[in-house]
Amino acid sequence: MKHSFRYGARAGLALAAAVILAGCGISAESGGRAYRGVMLGRAMPRPDFTLTDTHGQPFDFRAKTDDTVTLLLFGYLNCPDVCPVHLTNIARVMQGLPYSVTGHVRVVFITTDPARDTPEKLDKWLTGFDPSFIGLRGTPDEVKSVEAAVNVAPASPGIPDSSGAYEVGHAAQVIAFTRDDSAHVVYPFGTRQADWAHDLPLLVQVK
Amino acid sequence: MTVQWWCSARGIPWRWHWQAYPGVWIMVFALAATYARWTRPLTAESSHGERASQGKRIGGWVGVLLVWASLDWPGGPLGTGYLASVHAAQFLILGMIAPPLLLRGLAPERVAAMMHRGGVASRVITFVTQPLLAMIAFTVVMLATHAPGAVDVLMRSQAGAFLLDMAWFVSGLVFWWPVVIDFPLRERFGPPMRILYLFAGTQAHLYLSMWLLLAEFPAYGIYELAPRVTGLSAMEDQQVAGGLLLLVGGTYVLGVISVLFFRWFAEPQAE
Repeated sequence: MKHSFRYGARAGLALAAAVILAGCGISAESGGRAYRGVMLGRAMPRPDFTLTDTHGQPFDFRAKTDDTVTLLLFGYLNCPDVCPVHLTNIARVMQGLPYSVTGHVRVVFITTDPARDTPEKLDKWLTGFDPSFIGLRGTPDEVKSVEAAVNVAPASPGIPDSSGAYEVGHAAQVIAFTRDDSAHVVYPFGTRQADWAHDLPLLVQVK
Repeated sequence: MTVQWWCSARGIPWRWHWQAYPGVWIMVFALAATYARWTRPLTAESSHGERASQGKRIGGWVGVLLVWASLDWPGGPLGTGYLASVHAAQFLILGMIAPPLLLRGLAPERVAAMMHRGGVASRVITFVTQPLLAMIAFTVVMLATHAPGAVDVLMRSQAGAFLLDMAWFVSGLVFWWPVVIDFPLRERFGPPMRILYLFAGTQAHLYLSMWLLLAEFPAYGIYELAPRVTGLSAMEDQQVAGGLLLLVGGTYVLGVISVLFFRWFAEPQAE
């Protein structure tokens, strides 16, 4: 159950994941821009995949998020901690940023629990954070292949309890694809609103 | 069931499942035992008038109960790891409300005997309760223990959270002692000076509460990143914390200042 780790373990995991993603040490600067996220050692190309959005329409990720800063994260509606915190923080910061920034930002959430996260539920849940947030669903294999494409660990459902409820372990970082069709920086769990407010305007400038 | 000695931020989703905190029970039991002893007259022959009034003694027991409620489940863990508003309420109880209630309930005769004995306790109390020193210490403790870096680090460990709680409580006792207790006798520290002392000693609260109310982003990572317990966002919760400090803390201090003023006003003036 990846959500019940203590802060230390969680921070360690996030750091380890980021370092693995980075392939080398952590830097905080790229092209003269100092980000508060974790820099990737090698830029990761924007992946090319198609999943289904909450209206049942195919969503071509690469085409539909072209020329935008795309914040991609994995999670599920019943997530007790990581997902709501990330989404709340991003949503709140976007409310305070000018349209010249937010107009170039897309938030894409891929559910790792498609069995429970029906399109209606997912749409309602994401709209509660910000109506512009995009929810995507796919079969477990489709989601796994997207996770592999962006170098994150595959989601793993936990064992159901007596009531049938279960948690799903999933990658906790937000991957930021910039308008140059690459991700240079990721945001582990622990990224705060002040960090997003600092970095989003910088990310929008990358072309 | 996991047993923690003292509440600390654990970063796990909140559940309304009772949890034991034996360290809190020991601390509250020690406080209650000490308070019970210090409310009794010094000797069996002591007259009834040498105890604090019944109202003051009951007020002290209310102070003990408030301390317990603020540290034990659910208030303790909620304030330590989930809600800034509960954290602010804990501060108000431990640093502002419980200390004067407890001090008012002590038997004056017993306090006088201890202070006149001139032992280590007497010397320490005489030194630390010098009004200027007590005021500075209280303000420094309050500011230091509300600094985001300090809160985010201390609250993650039981020892750190214990240190923070005790810092509030002890600095609260030190701060309120010169206002409530007349020993050691400080002739120049009469009601006008006490009013000024309370006003000056709680100014930092005003700035802290305004800072929490007006901040652009959540100040504390602990509360910003904690799984939500209520429908309030981290920012709204922080604003409630600031509002509590401003309204409850401010009203409380203003109330005490008013009482001091009217008592002073009603005192027969020397010719």
